[in-house]
Amino acid sequence: MATVAERAKDLVKVDRRDGKLALAHIYVAFIALAIGGLCGLLQTLVRSGTFTLPWGIGYYQILTVHGVLLGLVLTTYFIFGFQIAAVSRTSGTLTDKQRMLGWVGFWVMTIGTIASATMVLLNQASVLYTFYAPLQAHWIFYAGLALVIVGSWIGGAGQIGKYIEWRKANPGQSSPLLTFMVVVNLSMWIVCSLGVAVEVLFQLLPWSLGWVDKVDVLLSRTLFWYFGHPLVYFWLLPAYMVWYVVIPKVIGGKIFSDALARLSFMLFLLFSIPVGFHHQLVEPGISSFWKFLQVVLTLMVVIPSLLTAFSMFATFEIRGRALGGKGILGWFKKLPWGDARFLVPFIGMAAFIPAGAGGIINASHQMNQLVHNTIWVTGHFHLTVATTVVLTFFGAAYWLIPHLTGRVLTKQMNKLAIIQAIVWAFGMSIMSGAMHIVGLFGAPRRSDFSTYGGSAQAAEWIPYQIAQAVGGTILFIGIVLVLYIVANLLWFAPKGETEFPVGEISENAEKTPMALENWKIWLTICIALILFAYTVPVIDMIQNAPPGSKGFKLW
Amino acid sequence: MSKKREKEPDLKGTLYSVGVLGAFIIITWFMAFYLFIDRF
Ligand code: HEM
Ligand SMILES: [Cu+2]
Repeated sequence: MATVAERAKDLVKVDRRDGKLALAHIYVAFIALAIGGLCGLLQTLVRSGTFTLPWGIGYYQILTVHGVLLGLVLTTYFIFGFQIAAVSRTSGTLTDKQRMLGWVGFWVMTIGTIASATMVLLNQASVLYTFYAPLQAHWIFYAGLALVIVGSWIGGAGQIGKYIEWRKANPGQSSPLLTFMVVVNLSMWIVCSLGVAVEVLFQLLPWSLGWVDKVDVLLSRTLFWYFGHPLVYFWLLPAYMVWYVVIPKVIGGKIFSDALARLSFMLFLLFSIPVGFHHQLVEPGISSFWKFLQVVLTLMVVIPSLLTAFSMFATFEIRGRALGGKGILGWFKKLPWGDARFLVPFIGMAAFIPAGAGGIINASHQMNQLVHNTIWVTGHFHLTVATTVVLTFFGAAYWLIPHLTGRVLTKQMNKLAIIQAIVWAFGMSIMSGAMHIVGLFGAPRRSDFSTYGGSAQAAEWIPYQIAQAVGGTILFIGIVLVLYIVANLLWFAPKGETEFPVGEISENAEKTPMALENWKIWLTICIALILFAYTVPVIDMIQNAPPGSKGFKLW
Repeated sequence: MSKKREKEPDLKGTLYSVGVLGAFIIITWFMAFYLFIDRF
């Protein structure tokens, strides 16, 4: 039974000023989705062999736009918008200083994004979203990226500031779960983005400015992937926040265990960073011992992942049984399938099953050769980030945006949201499925349409590329639908009150041990693991450095 | 606080679901492994 105090908590609203800051981020995210989504459609059409880009636009130019806007901009901005709202909702309105940091961070990131995007659009930076050396972009592209990173630190400091303030004001108490999770995610982000900041500031910028003429490619890739793998967890953890904290409330249940949720977040912090070599498994210059070690650390994420799966199933089962579900799986039918706030993220969760299985295959050291640089990999992360993460974000947007704009999600919009998610799942099954299969046949990722000089093997790939275009077209319809719903929620939906759902902890859950909030312990382990996994191989890389490379501009 | 744990919740479905999930991961991994051994 909800007590009066609990009811009152449900009505807590994010302060309008914080809401404005969160919305600013969300606007940028959806603009990125619109442009990036269009590029995605064009890519699949080009690769089907039936379409040529007009006006001399290059394939790698739009692929860079797609990867940067969707992989980097959409994700980071939505996450910051969501996190700001989440902290303000659960730990209280930001102070003026914290909010100011949020705005300064927003503008620094946005100036950086505009600078980089301009260079990509001018065809001065078709280096794809991983900006691997020795491909060399215009220096403004790298400077823009540096601003994005610095801006994220400034904005992140505002969010962390609120947490510190809360802890000071409530000594000996465990912090609000959602705020705690935000701080774990930001800690991971700050620790990992130091790597890419070093790469950009000390390698790529001086080299693109012509101050030095050669770059150490191996070191730059190592710094990139020290950042790149935690980056994917930086996308995923906010989705997990929704699953752990918001979904239980949406379905009318309780959070299965606060301690389990915190523990799994801390394990993600530990096992997301010292693992970048699993992206460099076929790379020369790293000894197989260190690759193996990082593979072992990588596979440790299976633990928090299965904890999460268990926790979600348990939340669903307990709720479904309370609603009268009988038998082993009868509870499943009782869940609120007609509620977009539940169904849309649920489809995301379901997609994470094949996505996770694929990820384990990718990370399995020598087995990586099977899939490395094939379009299987693209199929993989369109399940992880482009389905699991984005569908969870869409599902969150359907209550977050109206909460912030003082509007409501109407019945029709709820229905459209459900259709949107089904369209997405259908289109993605076709596109990602075709990518997975033809990847196993050896079809490369990141490649313009080519018959490879009439090769018979390459001819076998073409039907799958056509399937990708069919799936891509359906997905693009999904993008149009979600943009329509978002526009409705921003400007046209009826005025009203929308809840920001935050779950209560189950009364059966154990009390949360305070050790889970002892940052000294966790950050020490985190840094120790990083030093353990990287010190020796990086020293080796520097002492036995490969000859540097001059820059290449292949577009 | 209410009286604690009147009854442990019934989580049989969760047990089976997580089991199926684990089995799916293991089966797909071995399929890829077989392909790998076959090719390399
Ligand atoms: C209409 C929906 C989408 C379509 C049709 C689409 C299609 C594609 C295709 C065909 C590629 C690979 C091209 C190649 O390797 O040559 C690609 C790459 C990529 N996509 Fe998507 N995508 C869509 C949505 C998304 C979303 C929502 C995200 C992220 C949230 C995303 C992130 C990426 C990333 C990071 C790459 C890698 C770019 C690279 O390899 O440099 N995509 N997409
Ligand atoms: Cu990774």
